[in-house]
Amino acid sequence: MDEPLLKVENVVVDFRTATGTVNAVRGLSYEVNRGETLAVVGESGSGKSVTARAIMSMLAENARVGANSKIWFDGEEISSFSELQMQRIRGNRISMIFQEPLTSLNPIYRVGDQVAEIIRVHRPMPKKEAMEEVLRLFKEVQLPNPEARLGQYPHEMSGGQRQRVMIAMALANKPDLLIADEPTTALDVTVQAEILTLLKNLQKSHNMAVILITHDLTVVEKTSDRVVVMRYGEVVERGATRDVFAAPQHPYTKHLLASEPKGRPGSLDPQAAPLVTATDMRVSFTLTSGGMFSRKRAELVAVNDISATLRRGETLGIVGESGSGKTTLGMAMIRLLTASGGRIKFDGIDITRLSRKEMRPLRTRMQVVFQDPFSSLNPRMIVGQIIEEGLQVNGIGSSAAERKEMVGQALEDVQMPRDAAQRFPHEFSGGQRQRIAIARAIALKPEFILLDEPTSALDLSIQAQIIDLLRDLREKHDLTYMFISHDLKVVRALCHNVIVMQDGNVIETGPTSQVLENPSTEYTQRLVRAAFNVIAA
Amino acid sequence: MADISLNAEAISSAANLTYWQLVRRRLLRNRYGMVGLAGCLFIVFTVVFSGFIAPYAPEIKDRVAVYSPPQTIRILAPEGGLTRPFVYGIKEQMDPVTFEITFSPDETKRANLAFFVKGDPWALLGMDFETRLIGTADGSFVHFLGTDSLGRDVFSRMVAGTRITLLMGVVVMAASCIIGTIVGVSSGYFGGSFDTLVQRVVEFVKSFPDLPLYLALVAILPRRADPTTIFILFAGILVLLRWADLSRELRGKVISIRSMDYIRSAVAIGASDQRIIGRHIVPNTSSHIIVWATYQLPEVILLESFLSFLGVGVQAPMVSWGSMLNQVRDFQSFAAAPWLMAPVGMIVISVLAFNAFGDGLRDAMDPYSNG
Repeated sequence: MDEPLLKVENVVVDFRTATGTVNAVRGLSYEVNRGETLAVVGESGSGKSVTARAIMSMLAENARVGANSKIWFDGEEISSFSELQMQRIRGNRISMIFQEPLTSLNPIYRVGDQVAEIIRVHRPMPKKEAMEEVLRLFKEVQLPNPEARLGQYPHEMSGGQRQRVMIAMALANKPDLLIADEPTTALDVTVQAEILTLLKNLQKSHNMAVILITHDLTVVEKTSDRVVVMRYGEVVERGATRDVFAAPQHPYTKHLLASEPKGRPGSLDPQAAPLVTATDMRVSFTLTSGGMFSRKRAELVAVNDISATLRRGETLGIVGESGSGKTTLGMAMIRLLTASGGRIKFDGIDITRLSRKEMRPLRTRMQVVFQDPFSSLNPRMIVGQIIEEGLQVNGIGSSAAERKEMVGQALEDVQMPRDAAQRFPHEFSGGQRQRIAIARAIALKPEFILLDEPTSALDLSIQAQIIDLLRDLREKHDLTYMFISHDLKVVRALCHNVIVMQDGNVIETGPTSQVLENPSTEYTQRLVRAAFNVIAA
Repeated sequence: MADISLNAEAISSAANLTYWQLVRRRLLRNRYGMVGLAGCLFIVFTVVFSGFIAPYAPEIKDRVAVYSPPQTIRILAPEGGLTRPFVYGIKEQMDPVTFEITFSPDETKRANLAFFVKGDPWALLGMDFETRLIGTADGSFVHFLGTDSLGRDVFSRMVAGTRITLLMGVVVMAASCIIGTIVGVSSGYFGGSFDTLVQRVVEFVKSFPDLPLYLALVAILPRRADPTTIFILFAGILVLLRWADLSRELRGKVISIRSMDYIRSAVAIGASDQRIIGRHIVPNTSSHIIVWATYQLPEVILLESFLSFLGVGVQAPMVSWGSMLNQVRDFQSFAAAPWLMAPVGMIVISVLAFNAFGDGLRDAMDPYSNG
């Protein structure tokens, strides 16, 4: 271990855009030794992915790499390599796994052929041999039923399976260095645990160096040897993972470490009257397939006879893996989706069969915050218009000045400055956008808010702030929440009661502490393990 | 802990641009697009001030100069040295054997050119003017691009024709934009059997073979109606077959926008369909509509020219580029007077200009580009 495998020295990356130059990375240096895992941690926009792309020289066209930036790989300065020389290294000696396994596989080729292509580009061999090699790789990444997978297309696989194919592709030529760019962010927590365990085992068996780019500190703590903490394109702290976690030096690292969702939900009045009652809710979709004359119809039951009651002031968590029907249940309960069976009562009013027009007077009383703050705000409206729209539509506030005051109040409630109202959504970060979405909901003074994974698209430290904000708002405005999430850490911090769902059915239900501490089903145990331990020991 | 406030993210203060400001800035950086924009402005300027730029009114006939060739502007005096710009008159000679008429500059007739001369009256915004950009000092005729079979000045007619051609383009573009937007947005937004029905109509319209249909429709236009009526009916026929493309494209776009969370949020606050379409959907498709429109304009110009060339479009006494080209339908007149093809140059310039501008706009409006 005399010389590091990869040495990144003084890397500067700027992006030229219409609004000026953005300094994404400002003089970054780190090194990775053979066989070790280096975690690069930082929030979105801190430049961690840009650095990885600079190593692979895969930057966007408008990027400029600084003149003094040097990257050494195995003793050679690859920052001065030509495109042709880099092609020989990419996918061969350095490979990369991307965040989104759906878009990084080509949808029109069979996965077996895609992996075989990578092998044959770097090591010419007959197709048959290459396919045998692929099969061996598929077995190594523990794809279930590997022989059958060879001939499948990406869309026939789940997200976790696709990520396994990506890993197989990355390992195909036994690379010395694997760059994993947020490899589990798009996956379910339970799948995340499996993928990380797999990566860790493969790293040991291949003696690879791994650069793991992530914003999730739990992942860092469990998987890496050394850690680099980045902020605004600079390193703020580096060191052995154990030391950094035990005694963080920089205030930003301390802040990151302290941003795990903490606290418990406030007390709940056991005598509170029920606000929303759903009885035997059933939502099913008709799937049609086949041609015009051989049309097949299949019924997909997304929510299967579920009953739930929310009392005033209660926060009910709905937990489950993606595809378990939690969002469908929530949307049906506030009538953004029409249920095919069951009854919904809101404050004693039966809203099951109300038309959209008849629902309008009730809309101010029940609101929703969506998962993705980037698609939930109209990009062509300023924030003030977005928040004011609900007031206008429902005739709240007698004058424009009064409505403006209400918008300002809502922004203050979510701890945003009042002058944010004059700006467009794209000027804000994810966390700030989510605050704006919450402001839009609370501006109407609702009694019930459906929170559909409001924190899962956000960085960890922002997550904690949003959780605190939601808890404060609940107490201030006496709100009732239905909180949909796959993250049990967040659920523990916010919910009084919890419903665990799988494939449209309720698996387990009860007070949060009871369900999380003594999970009675294997499925819930798996969720709990994934959330609190990350890697199954 | 000073630099980490509770609300840890600082709100960026630098990039405070609205969408349209950003588009403008990106467009200004696109050289090809800017050249296109300059070309478009040139065409629009010609339309507005066609009376000023053209030396003569389009219907004025110079009876002694039938099929006369373009006169060259000269600045070198025969006695040597530079002089003010002038042109020579045209001398007509007939070959006694073949009876072929040839033209040559008549060096005895010299007419000096002058700017801002008094000429045929023209009107703009209800005001009458008599000043024209260029003419001869002594009031005799000058034909920079020659004359046609009736002795009318080709250059003046070409400048005047810009008006009708562009008017046709703008009218057809605007009408098909409005119809296409209304049909496409409502079809995509409401979906269901309404969508199915509308899309079958769109397919029906799109399945027509264009050219025979244009000819058939134009054939049933009343021949004896006045040119303005024919112009409007002709525009109507073009619109009839043009809106379908946009409505199909917008339908797809609206379907994808409809599933965005901000639309569901609008439903959740109780907004009506009308409001959702007007405030959320149409503004988010506007860039698509605008770019489509800039691409549509040159297509309509080409189509108008083509149909008028065939003699089924704009009718005399209205002048358009296409109807001017109608005069060179036969090979004889093409061989004898090739300068009658001059409007082709204007068509090429305008089509290139609008296409270049459309390309630039499309790149500037693309939210995913980061150039």
